[in-house]
Amino acid sequence: MTPQATRIGIPIENAELAKMLFDAAQEVFTSMLGSEVHRLPDPPADQPSPFDGVLSLIGLAGAAIGNGTVVCTPEAACKMSSLLLMSEYPNVDDQVLDALGEIANMIIGGFKHLLEPHLGRLQMSIPSVIYGKNIATRNSKVPLALAVGCGFPGGECEVRIRLAAARE
Amino acid sequence: MSAEPLNLLVVDDSTAIRKILMRVLSQTGLPLGKVLEAGDGREALKLIESNDIALILSDINMPNMDGLELLRALRASEKWHDVPVVLITTEGAQEKVEEAVALGAASYVRKPFSADLLRDKLAALLTK
Repeated sequence: MTPQATRIGIPIENAELAKMLFDAAQEVFTSMLGSEVHRLPDPPADQPSPFDGVLSLIGLAGAAIGNGTVVCTPEAACKMSSLLLMSEYPNVDDQVLDALGEIANMIIGGFKHLLEPHLGRLQMSIPSVIYGKNIATRNSKVPLALAVGCGFPGGECEVRIRLAAARE
Repeated sequence: MSAEPLNLLVVDDSTAIRKILMRVLSQTGLPLGKVLEAGDGREALKLIESNDIALILSDINMPNMDGLELLRALRASEKWHDVPVVLITTEGAQEKVEEAVALGAASYVRKPFSADLLRDKLAALLTK
């Protein structure tokens, strides 16, 4: 079970962090995808079981360390890419993977923007996008795990963060 | 407003963002000439050498040569030091914005952006 962020040196309650994560996703859906989005019941915060789909990952460093990911099915990835690029994408291809990387980049970037006034300066990596079957992820030494579900017309995705306070 | 077609350059390592920016540019209502694309600052400099560019829209975080390095190279150049550069940042990192302004960026935009806002900003810069 994930601990309260405040117990590991991050001065914000988990519920507020999850709200920041959804707010960042909502801004991207509204501004860039031209789509409504609603918050689904929070998925389990622990790593999902091996799944088939697309995972876009951004590393975080600085005042906290960890990563943020956007996870979805291939169908949802195609739908999100179609909304972003205003073209139809029936299958996952390079453009869909690039679009998913950029969507994750903007969502985690927005989250970072909201978090920095409370925590201090953070840096982001460039996105890594993984597409395949039986994807399993594991984060060792990163205690705080949070996930929010985002529903939009035609699909849904999960936005996840794993964080630890940086060591001195 | 100048009736001369304006050549623009979009610099971003993401083809998705380049595609979105090209669409926004096509909707400014301005007489556009060529709208060129580059994946990083180095590619951008090559295109600038052989084209008369009216405005550059560039991401900050890119491999090989990032947007701030591109801006620095342009400002140090005798020929292209006054080409307006609009920088785009995902992180909204204040120190990068301050550096961009100090280097003479014409403007900056944080992603995610409103297409209307970006369109208005570009139209204002291009009609100066």
